[in-house]
Amino acid sequence: MHIRKNKPWNLPESAATSEADFINRRRFLKAVGLGSGALLGQTLSHAATYGFPSKVNPEFRPDGLEPTEYDLIKGYNNFYEFSYDKGEVQDLANRGWQTEPWEIEIKGHVENPQTIDVNDLIKKIGGIEQRVYRFRCVEAWSMVIPWDGFQMSKLIDLVQPTSKAKYLKFSTFFDPTNAPGQKGGSIDWPYVEGLTIEEARNELSFLATGIYGKAIPNQNGAPIRLVVPWKYGFKSIKSIVKIEFTSSRPMNTWQALQPREYGFYANVNPTVDHPRWSQATERIIGSGFFSKRKDTLMFNGYEEQVAHLYEGLNLKRNF
Amino acid sequence: MNPVARFLRKRWFIHLLLCIPVFYVFVPVLQKDTEYFADPAKYLLEYFGLASTYLFVAVSMITPLRKVFPKIAIFKSIAIHRRQIGVGVFFYALLHFLIYFPYTGSWSEFVKDWDKLFILSGIVGFALLLLLAATSNNWSVRKLGGRNWKRIHRLAYLIMLLLIYHQATQEKTGYRETATVFAPLIILQTVRIAIYGKHALKNRAKSDSADSSS
Repeated sequence: MHIRKNKPWNLPESAATSEADFINRRRFLKAVGLGSGALLGQTLSHAATYGFPSKVNPEFRPDGLEPTEYDLIKGYNNFYEFSYDKGEVQDLANRGWQTEPWEIEIKGHVENPQTIDVNDLIKKIGGIEQRVYRFRCVEAWSMVIPWDGFQMSKLIDLVQPTSKAKYLKFSTFFDPTNAPGQKGGSIDWPYVEGLTIEEARNELSFLATGIYGKAIPNQNGAPIRLVVPWKYGFKSIKSIVKIEFTSSRPMNTWQALQPREYGFYANVNPTVDHPRWSQATERIIGSGFFSKRKDTLMFNGYEEQVAHLYEGLNLKRNF
Repeated sequence: MNPVARFLRKRWFIHLLLCIPVFYVFVPVLQKDTEYFADPAKYLLEYFGLASTYLFVAVSMITPLRKVFPKIAIFKSIAIHRRQIGVGVFFYALLHFLIYFPYTGSWSEFVKDWDKLFILSGIVGFALLLLLAATSNNWSVRKLGGRNWKRIHRLAYLIMLLLIYHQATQEKTGYRETATVFAPLIILQTVRIAIYGKHALKNRAKSDSADSSS
């Protein structure tokens, strides 16, 4: 853990503009043709702005699921490309790292490989919707996040995979100048994740470009990231630059790094412990010091939608 | 003796320094640090664990520093407070251990992880620290006799190994933090053994019992 020493440019939160004022100011400046971000002396990039405001999808808004506070979603981030310190990422990811414009390369065993700008992709797909998903980190904490984006299967239909395509391999960006964590460390950059094509086709698999009806902040994986809510959070790769349809299973980064602790499937499963801690319960972010833990649900509560994908699979071995 | 060295002999000053982690913990609260408010139990757990570790390294370095730099008066002054700093190690380990309870949420959760080596190393290490803290007084030295007391307090080396293991396993990737924290101690002990060879062990036994009285 890093005992943070405040840098001179790190203003106290009380000095910050209220969110409402900030957004309005940006809109005003955009309207009069001036760029954004110069105000605070930081370059704030919010890409993938097409499609807002998003339509709420009532099918994916379970009653009683209370979303986590936006400040906590924005300020508590695992993004080792920038820092191992969850509190530092918000600063480091907004010091000039550009997430606009942004292109995604889609290749491999598909009929329509393409390199496409994110906003054009959203246009082609037909816009975005909002869904409220549970998010469960492998570290045994959880949030509830209202994501804006589109169902992954729509992208799959767009590019038309051939019969050879069995897996999807996602890669994130590589930019050590702006992402200092990528200059070294134990991870073989860039970060890679993978899904079986059936998992990717599942109705829950989601590509997110926003949170709470606003374009996704840099530290949360701007401009576009994967969300697979029935799996541990590290599967939901951020800031995607490439999606490859492959016939062999990709080696995801965390499995390559610590195969004893992280596997390919990483399905949320309270009966399969992590080698260092139990996965039977989780701490709810923002619930305070003395809060009781919540019981972790099988497949993070999405058993109905995804259990069939793993019929016959030994989940203890294939963790 | 220089004035700084003379000042460092004051017991109250060392007690004040030992309390700093308790005061400094309010900084993230006042700064509205998201990392604290997102998961306060985890933050405090790691904070006090780290505080205990830093103090452990500090107290373990006192004798080697005295051996390698015998002329420096400041080290001599600090050596007077070895016992207090040692109890400080236990104090923060105690806070770390107590916070582990709200961190896990309930007694059954609390004991559930005791089969994991990572947690077990912490529990055994803490139990040993408790033993050392309980015997960190003159009454114990008298009751146990100097030789037995010395033997018990040599368990500090076992605690160090458990602590290194506990600290290293909790890191997500690599061992950078553990290496950084323990590097000064390891380098110092290496230098000490290099200079004094096996005499270092003999010398330590003699002057240690003189230092430990306070």
